[in-house]
Amino acid sequence: MFRYNFKYESILLFRGRWIQVLNGLLILLFGFATYNGQQKTQKRKADIATINAEIQASDQNILKLLDSVEQGLQVNTRPWTVPNTPMAIGNYHPRVASKPPSDLSFLATGQSDMFTHFVKPTVSGDDLALNFSEMTSPVQLLFGSFDVAFVIIFLLPLLIIAFSYDVLSSERESGSLRLLAAQPISLYKWLMQKLALRFFWVVVITTVTVLLVFVANQVPVANNFSTILSFLAISLGYALFWFALAFAVNLWAESSAKNAVALLGLWVLFVLLIPSILNQLGSTLYPIPSRALMINEMRTIKAEATERQDDILDNYLRDHPEYAVNDTTQKRSFWHSYMASQNLVKKELEPVLLTYENQLQKQQQLLDNFTWLSPAIVVQGSMNQLADNGSESYEGYRNQVIAFAAEWRDHFLPMLYNNQAFSSEDYAGLPKFTYTPINNQSQSSVLLILLCSVSVVLGVGALRFYVSSAEKHSII
Amino acid sequence: MIQKTINKELKELLRDGRVRISLFIVLLLLGVAVWISSRQYQHNNRDYAAAKLSERAVWEGQGEKNPHSAAHYGTYAFKPKYPLSLIDQGVDKYIGTSIFLEAHKRNEAQFSAATDQTGLARFGDLTPDFILLFIIPLLIVLLGYNAFTKERELGTHSLLKSAGAKGWKIVLGKWTALFLPILTLTAVLLLLAGLLLSNLTDYGVFQWSSLAVMGLVYLLYYAVFTNLVLWVSHWAKRSGISLVISLSLWIVACLAAPKAASNIAEARHPYPTRQEFAANVIKDKDAGLDGHNPWSKQAKLLEEQVLKEYGVDSLQQLPFNFNAYLAQKGEEHEAEVYFKHYNYLKEQYENQSGTYRSLALLSPFLPARFLSMAIARTDYTTHWDFSDAAENYRIATQKFLNNNTAQNTTYGESGYKASAEFWQELPQFDYQPPALGQILANNRSNLTILGIWALFSFGLLFFTAKKI
Repeated sequence: MFRYNFKYESILLFRGRWIQVLNGLLILLFGFATYNGQQKTQKRKADIATINAEIQASDQNILKLLDSVEQGLQVNTRPWTVPNTPMAIGNYHPRVASKPPSDLSFLATGQSDMFTHFVKPTVSGDDLALNFSEMTSPVQLLFGSFDVAFVIIFLLPLLIIAFSYDVLSSERESGSLRLLAAQPISLYKWLMQKLALRFFWVVVITTVTVLLVFVANQVPVANNFSTILSFLAISLGYALFWFALAFAVNLWAESSAKNAVALLGLWVLFVLLIPSILNQLGSTLYPIPSRALMINEMRTIKAEATERQDDILDNYLRDHPEYAVNDTTQKRSFWHSYMASQNLVKKELEPVLLTYENQLQKQQQLLDNFTWLSPAIVVQGSMNQLADNGSESYEGYRNQVIAFAAEWRDHFLPMLYNNQAFSSEDYAGLPKFTYTPINNQSQSSVLLILLCSVSVVLGVGALRFYVSSAEKHSII
Repeated sequence: MIQKTINKELKELLRDGRVRISLFIVLLLLGVAVWISSRQYQHNNRDYAAAKLSERAVWEGQGEKNPHSAAHYGTYAFKPKYPLSLIDQGVDKYIGTSIFLEAHKRNEAQFSAATDQTGLARFGDLTPDFILLFIIPLLIVLLGYNAFTKERELGTHSLLKSAGAKGWKIVLGKWTALFLPILTLTAVLLLLAGLLLSNLTDYGVFQWSSLAVMGLVYLLYYAVFTNLVLWVSHWAKRSGISLVISLSLWIVACLAAPKAASNIAEARHPYPTRQEFAANVIKDKDAGLDGHNPWSKQAKLLEEQVLKEYGVDSLQQLPFNFNAYLAQKGEEHEAEVYFKHYNYLKEQYENQSGTYRSLALLSPFLPARFLSMAIARTDYTTHWDFSDAAENYRIATQKFLNNNTAQNTTYGESGYKASAEFWQELPQFDYQPPALGQILANNRSNLTILGIWALFSFGLLFFTAKKI
């Protein structure tokens, strides 16, 4: 029976142009999304390459200037930018801390349109002055991107719904269900087989389309085989969830129209409503304090620090005797007191900034606890992770940059307080930034959540067989 | 006949459990969304008022200080929330709300809400505009997809024909019956919001006229969807097919087209990256006058010119402090550089808007989206307007401070401090958003496109539906 069912359904799907339409649509959608994503990735790579080239050129210039200064020649640049002082290098010749896109960055735009991919931390700038947001038209952020994740999370379920909402009901409506009921197969099995067959075709078509589209868009498939494999597994797990829903709804609802409306309602619920309600809940329960008020607080602290700059420097040197002792000339410049008070401002601002991080963490915690409510959220999170474009990736990058900024500052502070000049020999020892992607948590937990949801939904569907006898209408 | 059709359709709709449930859910969602938004609105306004007051106090309490130090110390311009943001939050979430105004530099608005939220925020918020723009059109699809197909499926089609009913009368009846619940829903929501807003008298200026125009835009948008859904239902063979087609229209119009438009607009007219932008500004700044560097070539040129103008031969003989004058001139040069570069951004955005407009022919969602947020003063244009006003205020502030130094000091004098009371003389920053007439004039093309959509879809429905 399984063989017949499989064979004839396949033929029907072909003759009904189901497979051809699905294939065409998926090629179109995945093609456009991948092309878009790859374009963005290329631009991002090009931007980073340009800035690195610029820094390289300016470094050559530094070395030349240093050479001239060391030979006692006059140099023709503004006096405070001559690179023989540590502060000039630290402020006017910063390093680039960049976050290059991963090979699969095109999969999901995530937060990559909102945050910048390279910053240049300076010695005098505080961490708050590092602006991590990118210059993008907010309209673009509002509308979002047509990326592969969008096709899978939003559109694929709709395609599945369109092709499976009437699997059972159309048989009932055309009267063939009664004929089937006379066959030696249980209805449950038969419906399962019918949907399994459709799922099988979705798996085949999606896999082939995705691989073809990726290869056509010059995605390095071979190097990222395992990541692409988890991407496919998660996408298909998500598709399976929607097939399971179609199965349950087909069993519970009566007419095709009711099925369609119910499935659409569920789509709106899982894809649009639950995410926005959870987001709203997070920001209502753990509101982020006003940034405007934070500015006020920061200003007051800074104003106080400026007033007491000399005291602060004295205190600072008392705390750091290593700087005071080695200082032979006792020369004090603007930078000496500035850096000392900046250090204090940073310390005093820390608790203020921490409240923001804490609230955000609490929001994230809440979401992590309820993410299983909607497979769409789970899948979006995991796609962002595979693309290395999620919130955690950018937070990781931010933390790495802030750590690097501290390293950069600390590299120059001893030189500043010891009134040491920066020489061409010091150039090689300048700290460098390399981005390390945060360790991707295993995607198997995502698959597990998806499969659990699938079995719950299938179970709800199967319940129909136990209540059917008690009710007036049987499934047939 | 029309009246009878309306009665029959409405009765049928109300008797259908699905319809009752979906209407109830939409109403519930709307209620929750309005409640949450109004809470947030009040909260934001309280913070805004507090921040503004405190910032002014910080500025006025600077004590004796050199005016140029005060210029570097700077001040902040905070962006207020406008009453209709209660209904449409627009792009507010993605835009910073405070601009730091300091010497030599035009800063962008900082701290957008979206950067302070989890990744989930990108799915969207449960706000009234989400329901008005996405969910209600979907509701129209669900209510109307079988308006004609059911007649065919139940066989009442031939009965209607034999009764000699005119095609357009039935279409009009069905149209009204489908539109009436939507009209009621929208009217109730807007009325509720209006009453809520007119009771919050402390903040912003709420105008019923803006709300009414916004309501009209939404109704026009819903009329387009109603027409399209009925048209599809009229031509489709079965209810299922009609539903799938209408739904595809909804997906293309509301989900796919905006995203595709945003990608195409970005690919064709990209913004510079933040670092590129900053680098370009520095390059242009360096090419001109630097107010801090009296030895540069440009400064020498200015010196000669000023000396000639006043007919004196040394800077000491000028009636004002040349250094402060130089600082002001440098400031003006820098302002010009920023003007040029921000204008480039604006141009890019204008070009992007062109892309959105051309794709609006595929999606009535786009013009409705842009109009709604423009009327709510939460669109990008309003933000530009605010940002320009803040920049003008910054330039005026610099002039005010530099003039004080120029008039109260002589050339070569250092260590001047303005009195502690001086800071109060700086006028406060006061921003008025564009008026409704201005907004509508700016959005003429969006209005036209939405109008074309309405006319086209009405035409489609009524001309092709002559025969039933």
